[in-house]
Amino acid sequence: MKNKIIKWIDHRFPLTSFIKHELTGYPTPRNLSYWWNFGFLAGIVLMLQVLTGLFLAMHYKPDAAIAFDSIQHIMRDVNYGWLLRFMHSTGASAFFLVIYIHMARTLYYGSYRAPRELMWWTGQGLLLLLMATAFMGYLLPWGQMSFWGATVITNLFRATPFIGDQVVVWLRGDYAVGDDTLTRFFALHYLFPFLIIGAVVVHLVALHTVRSSNPSGINLADKDNIPFHPYYTSKDFFGMGVFLIAYFIVVFFFPHSLIESANNIPANPMVTPDHIVPEWYFLPFYAILRSVPNMVGGVVAMGLSVMIFAFMPFLDRSRIPGGGRYRPVYRMLFFIFMLDILVLGYVGYVPPTSQTIAIGQVATIYYFCSFLLLPLISKAEDKWLFKRGLPPKILALIASEEEEKRKRR
Amino acid sequence: MNRFIATLALCCAAFPASASENKLENFQVDTSVVAVERGVDTFMNACHGCHSLKYVHYRDLASLGIDKDRIAAWRGDSTLDSAMTSLISDEAAIQSFGIVPPDLSMMVRAREGGNSYIYSYLVGYYLTQDGKTGNHFYPITKMPDALGISSATDPAKRSELQGKAHDIVSFLSWAADPHEAERKALGYYVIGYLIILTVLLYNVKLQVWSRLKV
Repeated sequence: MKNKIIKWIDHRFPLTSFIKHELTGYPTPRNLSYWWNFGFLAGIVLMLQVLTGLFLAMHYKPDAAIAFDSIQHIMRDVNYGWLLRFMHSTGASAFFLVIYIHMARTLYYGSYRAPRELMWWTGQGLLLLLMATAFMGYLLPWGQMSFWGATVITNLFRATPFIGDQVVVWLRGDYAVGDDTLTRFFALHYLFPFLIIGAVVVHLVALHTVRSSNPSGINLADKDNIPFHPYYTSKDFFGMGVFLIAYFIVVFFFPHSLIESANNIPANPMVTPDHIVPEWYFLPFYAILRSVPNMVGGVVAMGLSVMIFAFMPFLDRSRIPGGGRYRPVYRMLFFIFMLDILVLGYVGYVPPTSQTIAIGQVATIYYFCSFLLLPLISKAEDKWLFKRGLPPKILALIASEEEEKRKRR
Repeated sequence: MNRFIATLALCCAAFPASASENKLENFQVDTSVVAVERGVDTFMNACHGCHSLKYVHYRDLASLGIDKDRIAAWRGDSTLDSAMTSLISDEAAIQSFGIVPPDLSMMVRAREGGNSYIYSYLVGYYLTQDGKTGNHFYPITKMPDALGISSATDPAKRSELQGKAHDIVSFLSWAADPHEAERKALGYYVIGYLIILTVLLYNVKLQVWSRLKV
């Protein structure tokens, strides 16, 4: 009976061949470490956010007069409303944490190299969508930090040449952040996750064309590939278990640690909080914004600091695959870059003093230099490493990659 | 992971910065129903004249397990379903204090330092040289010393008032997060379940991967 049904479907829809092609027969390198779990985890968090968000939207009121009250209604009166809300607010942080680790892995192992540039660029698009979604979602509780955060960030669009003021009004729907802003942010906050899902599909189609990179950096021979299902499904589900434990420890025991106390005060356009800080996941970029004394310059620097990742396939001139695995200089740069981001995060968090501004400026310059000097550094490193000698497998791969390039020409 | 550690480090680094020159007392709040009940009683006498709890309803006190007769005495003419709004009108409050006293439903969550801050603030009143009251933790406060701790010199009286302040914080802490006890209790079950599930999933992973030859 079961076979008959599947046959009936297969005649009309490529069900069996799809499962075979994408799961049971999809070849995956067998040496992937646990750092390769985070793409799957991002998918899990996305689903958690969409589901909890759906149920929150059933009780939330996007109206400036009652938005704050409706959150309290969810927290106090709706059955397990507090659970939905804390899962959603913690989920935002979890999403960024998972995505940042996913990106750090790509950077470390040089997974953005050819032929995976499109994966990296669709990923970059996903990051922008995620940032926009998180930013708009943060306005919805209509607390002090929501209101002032949205005011500060929408105000940055004044830097747009010629039509800056009009753009800001267009974004806010009013001259100041208010009821219209809240309503449209709610509508867009509901829409964007579906754009994210669409972009994830593109990201996955690209992945299944170029297939996973792996920690060795070399393209593994067919015998070293294993089917995604059951090997990586079982590994990903175990990773999911570990992730969920960490996530629910925060949800059940420390959910307030991710909510600024000022956001428990209803939005008040008449009172500016002492110190406006964005959520932790925006802090390094916020520090870059504040490091540039001129507003337009700051906005450009901040935009560039997010977008510059997209240029990595061009900036990294090394012919050696595997990123930090075979390249000690690149590896060192990677870890200093991570440290630099932490410094920027700290600078973005504390109220600015002349000292932290100076630290922030040095860290900002280092941030951009680690990208802009990479072409020179990676070339020099290549020269040195070729002189010093590389494993024969790597040399063979480099030779074959160059052969392919020549053929394409 | 690095990011997470950074956040933790940032939070740790930020804590000393948020306290004013006067150090907050490291304060562990008693969240038992008895303490909350004493807290409601003190609150109704000392705070409720001016401060609202608009997100807390009298029936919430009943569902916490506080005696119905006591609640009836507190609520007076208000119904069980009404919010614990204050007795003073906004206009009258502005006339007396120059400000509408803030709603206290979320106060514990709305201030850096939470419970410790509210407690330190309540017991932080002192008599200035010209006989007025000041507050160590919020010098520009417009609230009078409701508990009368600034004029209490007798150690026994002071510790009694500190106990009252503690009870108020217990109550406000519950009011700001009424599902906290339920949340934590459920948390242990969820984490326990997930640990068992994850151990099983790990074994499935080992089992599946053992099929691979070398």
